[in-house]
Amino acid sequence: MSSAPVVFVIDDDPSVRSTLKFLIGTVGLDAESFASTDDFLDRKLPDAPSCLVLDVRLRGLSGLEFQGVLAARNIRIPIIFITGYGDIPMSVRAMKSGAVEFLTKPFRDQDLLEAIRIALDRDRARREQKREISEIQGRFSSLSAREQEVVCMVVAGKLNKQIAGELGTAENTVKVHRSRAMEKMNAQSLADLVRMLEKLKSASGNNL
Amino acid sequence: MMAETNSDTQVSESLDLRKMIETIPALVVCALPDGSADAVNRAWQEYTGDSVQRPNGWGWQAAVHPDDLAGFVDEWNATLASGKPFAAETRIKRANGEYHWFLMRKTLAVLPTPGGQSSLRALIAFENIDDLKRTEATLRQAETLLRAFFENSPNVIFLKDREGRYLYANRQFERVFGIDGEEIKGKHDFELFSPEQASAFRGNDRLVLEAGAPKEFEEISLQKDGAHTSIVQKFPLFNSEGEIYAIGGIATDITDRKREETARHFSEEKHRLALETASDAIVSVDENSVIQAANPATTRIFGFDSTEMIGQPLTVLMPESLRKMHEKGFKRYLATGQRVLNWQATELTARHKDGHELAVEVSFGELQSEGQRVFTGFIRDITERKRAEVTLKESERALRELTETIPQMLWSAAADGTVRYCNQRVLDYTGLSTEEVHGTGWMSAVHEDDREGIGQAWAAAVRTGEPFQYEFRCLRAADRKYRWCVTSALPLRDRTGDITRWFGSVVDLHDWKEAQQALQMTQMELARVSRFTTMGELAASIAHEVNQPLTAVTNNSSACLRLLANHNLAPDVLRRALEEIVSDGARASAVITRIRSFLKKNPGEKSELNVNEVIQEVLALAGRAFYENRVSLDCALAQSLPLVFADRIQLQQVLLNLIMNGIEAMAADRTRELRVESSTDETGDVLVAIRDSGCGIGSDVDRIFDPFFTTKSNGMGMGLSISRTVINNHGGRLWASPNCPHGTVFWFTLPTDRESAS
Repeated sequence: MSSAPVVFVIDDDPSVRSTLKFLIGTVGLDAESFASTDDFLDRKLPDAPSCLVLDVRLRGLSGLEFQGVLAARNIRIPIIFITGYGDIPMSVRAMKSGAVEFLTKPFRDQDLLEAIRIALDRDRARREQKREISEIQGRFSSLSAREQEVVCMVVAGKLNKQIAGELGTAENTVKVHRSRAMEKMNAQSLADLVRMLEKLKSASGNNL
Repeated sequence: MMAETNSDTQVSESLDLRKMIETIPALVVCALPDGSADAVNRAWQEYTGDSVQRPNGWGWQAAVHPDDLAGFVDEWNATLASGKPFAAETRIKRANGEYHWFLMRKTLAVLPTPGGQSSLRALIAFENIDDLKRTEATLRQAETLLRAFFENSPNVIFLKDREGRYLYANRQFERVFGIDGEEIKGKHDFELFSPEQASAFRGNDRLVLEAGAPKEFEEISLQKDGAHTSIVQKFPLFNSEGEIYAIGGIATDITDRKREETARHFSEEKHRLALETASDAIVSVDENSVIQAANPATTRIFGFDSTEMIGQPLTVLMPESLRKMHEKGFKRYLATGQRVLNWQATELTARHKDGHELAVEVSFGELQSEGQRVFTGFIRDITERKRAEVTLKESERALRELTETIPQMLWSAAADGTVRYCNQRVLDYTGLSTEEVHGTGWMSAVHEDDREGIGQAWAAAVRTGEPFQYEFRCLRAADRKYRWCVTSALPLRDRTGDITRWFGSVVDLHDWKEAQQALQMTQMELARVSRFTTMGELAASIAHEVNQPLTAVTNNSSACLRLLANHNLAPDVLRRALEEIVSDGARASAVITRIRSFLKKNPGEKSELNVNEVIQEVLALAGRAFYENRVSLDCALAQSLPLVFADRIQLQQVLLNLIMNGIEAMAADRTRELRVESSTDETGDVLVAIRDSGCGIGSDVDRIFDPFFTTKSNGMGMGLSISRTVINNHGGRLWASPNCPHGTVFWFTLPTDRESAS
């Protein structure tokens, strides 16, 4: 269950902050603004799609540095940079580090709002993916150790006979493990099972 | 009762006594017990010329010398009362007024009086002791003389009794042994000297006592400065009975003579050996100048065997040119004793057996041997020494020439700090003479205000031996102006570390100092330039500040437009938004005003400039950047450039910006060379080019002068924009083009006429 999306704004200029909130509000989005990165970190993030509109030039940490801090804390919120001045290397660096957009102040309203839409979609997809993976993870955990073993070998493309040979058990027994596992994993087909395990594998790699 | 009896016997003899008194040769005064005379004898009368035989009262005392009388009058009076005998030496006046010495003796006697009575009388007899006195004085004088001899004698003189106790020791004795005279008296040798010495001395004393005759010994005594050898003559002294009562001694210190004697002995021993092994040739000739003897060294120096030489005339050892001279001179000497040459260490030329000539130093000696006159020559081969001398002279001359010709002022001083030498440069510079500059005379060239300081610093250096350095103003004679100089000096030490001399230099650093001050000025200007350089950064900051309110304005406007489009714009929301827009607009305007006022604070100050000079100044400022980025600089500046009318600081700023850009643009993998050119273009404007071998700017060539465009990761994109503005403001142009084979060239022109520049 996810609630309404939220746009977070960090800018040290109060006028910019309030007007951004006002502008974002015109498209029916909730916006929360912060004067500093510390204030933002103190806020417990909601269980909802969200994105961050971040000023590059801030007192203390710069916006670019803060991007690194969030990544290190595994906070994968999409970021839209706004800046009073900027050069190409700065924007390249920001984009490479996963920023959604790099806008130079003053920007056109549709550019910002479009960036926010993309960012929220991206976050929504990420959250959906994360939810799905944790569901698969849950089902996989309900398998017995032997069933997990059999599933991994099936996904690796091995025949029942081969699996039985490797585990030193009867082919029929393998078949029973396999059908039970398919059932528990809620897999419609072998291809479905393979896709689920691929997702798990990449998720554990990505540490989602 | 006893006195009574006594008087009786004397009375009976009284007549004889009176007769006797008259006849005795002594002067006699007969006085009453109180001292008043009642008679004098003839001798008294004759001596004093007093005709009165019976003088009254104390009148006789007039003949006594008043000084003497005053000396014994109290004692005299005392004896009158007690009747005790009295004796004193006194001077009595003769009839002619002379005083002579007498021994005055008083005895009591009872004499008959004219009335047949006997009474007590004091007989005062005066015995002439004048001769005795004179002898005594003579004796005393003789003794004084003798004592003076003893006391001042360089010999040690002493007297001991038979038991060896010192009766007398003279001053020299006290001096050499360091013992006080009073301490010596009555002491034995054993109390004064070490047991070995004392028993040796005492042993010799006994020999004299036994022999009863003078004896001579060699005694060794330990004195304050070491062992001394003395010849000691000891002799017995006999009393009137012919017995020895004392031993006298006179010691003569022969330590030095002994030493000489040993040396002489040693030298004679050595002589023969020396002759044989001497490095000098030793040749003896007879009266005919024929060689009689020659030592081995002669063979070594001249090449002749001894046998070849003996019997030959001495002239074989001489070059042809000297032979005649020698013969003539030798003959003349034999005839007249007149010497042509100095006989000691004369430098001559000699001839080797093989004919080559050599430098020698010759000394001659003459002696009589068995009636023959023998001449001996000591010939030293000084070829090597001559050569060394020449070399030394040359090196010394070279050194002196060096100190005189090197373009530095040099001086040296003695260990106590007095200046002993100054080279010609110092004299030329200060206009002082050698005499004037010596000692502390150099101070006169030092500026009044620096004298005390330099004096103290120099004194401190001399005292501590620390290297010396001092900056002071020195009067240059050429223009009578004080110029800043620095003098430094180091001490030269001998092997024991003591300073033997100081060597110093003086350097005129006036020009350098002025340059240093000029450099400081430039650095101050650089500070202004760098402030101006931060203009780029300032502009970026301004951009941010302007963009903030601008963003707020657009945000508010956009939001309102959106709400308006949705028919959802409430009037209060609109009012608030519009109020904010007005406020943010004012904010933006305030930022603009700030920039304006900043620029107004830095109005250009234009003057006539040589662009080459400005380029040189900037290159000096950027020197460190060249070094740190390992960029080599190639400078091709026009020999002469027309002057431009420009603001020096702004021009420096532009050049610095272009040069720094060029340096930063050059990648590590290529030759990093920056070339700066200046010339005059076809219109007569000054044209400056800055070429780098960097990565180039490619297609961005049109955008690089736009504000906030930059290809640098840390740049703000303002430098070129400002630079172009500056050049444009000076009526010139700034542009870029690709360099060949790679990199970029930045060009700018500056007009040379005032009007287009302003």
